[in-house]
Amino acid sequence: MTAISSAERSLRRSGLWMAIALVLMAGVYVRALAFTPEEATQGLAQKIFYVHAPSAWVAFLAFGIVGVTSALYLFLRDPRLDLFAASAAEVGTVFTTAVLVTGPIWGKEIWGAWWTWDARLTLTLFLWFIYLAYLVLRTAVEEPGRRARYSAVLGILGALLVPFIHVSVYLFRTLHPMPVVLRPGRPLLPGSMLITLASSFTVFTLFFVALLARRYAWARLVDARAQGEAERADASK
Amino acid sequence: MPPNNGGFMVAAYVAAAVIYLSYAAWLYWRSRSR
Repeated sequence: MTAISSAERSLRRSGLWMAIALVLMAGVYVRALAFTPEEATQGLAQKIFYVHAPSAWVAFLAFGIVGVTSALYLFLRDPRLDLFAASAAEVGTVFTTAVLVTGPIWGKEIWGAWWTWDARLTLTLFLWFIYLAYLVLRTAVEEPGRRARYSAVLGILGALLVPFIHVSVYLFRTLHPMPVVLRPGRPLLPGSMLITLASSFTVFTLFFVALLARRYAWARLVDARAQGEAERADASK
Repeated sequence: MPPNNGGFMVAAYVAAAVIYLSYAAWLYWRSRSR
């Protein structure tokens, strides 16, 4: 099977996964909005948590993948690792955008302010800037080897922020709430809210995998077509 | 009595849906095999 037909097959399969993930996302929305109890002190605004926290988890997962695949690229120099890292970075940036939009809406109601220069918020904003710069860098460098090397270094540096953001609520005096599930000891949520949150985390992760598969298949297809054109140009010389 | 703040909840859910659906639609149409 040629590289082009293999990428085209992956594209078709990923379309199906995207459709399944979107249906499940709709299910999470219905469950969170209509079948999850209202929190006593924050009211309905607390339900923003069911889209905000899973988006943040997926963003961190995506940038973790960027860090690992970028490091592997620097050792192995396999161009597929570079394409995979770039795909994860783009999808991760979309999830971070959702985090940075939904968080302030919750903050305005609960804190009375859209934004505060709290450690976790600020670091997440900088993470978003780093991966925007990563995506711009990829469009600015044309030579594939150099683009992959520069991107890998920036991708690793950005991923180093992720563990800091996770522990920032313990390291610094911040306004951001402490973890209620990913914490030492038992989760602090009652059962029905925990089920909503767990299904939301699962479905957001599946949605991420489907988007990543699609983005990576597309990147492979573009790459395979460019290589095919370069080979034809060489052959005609 | 919990506060009556359903508007914030709806705004956040709509904003997230717009971001995710826009990206998924852009990615799907842009990458459709020609």
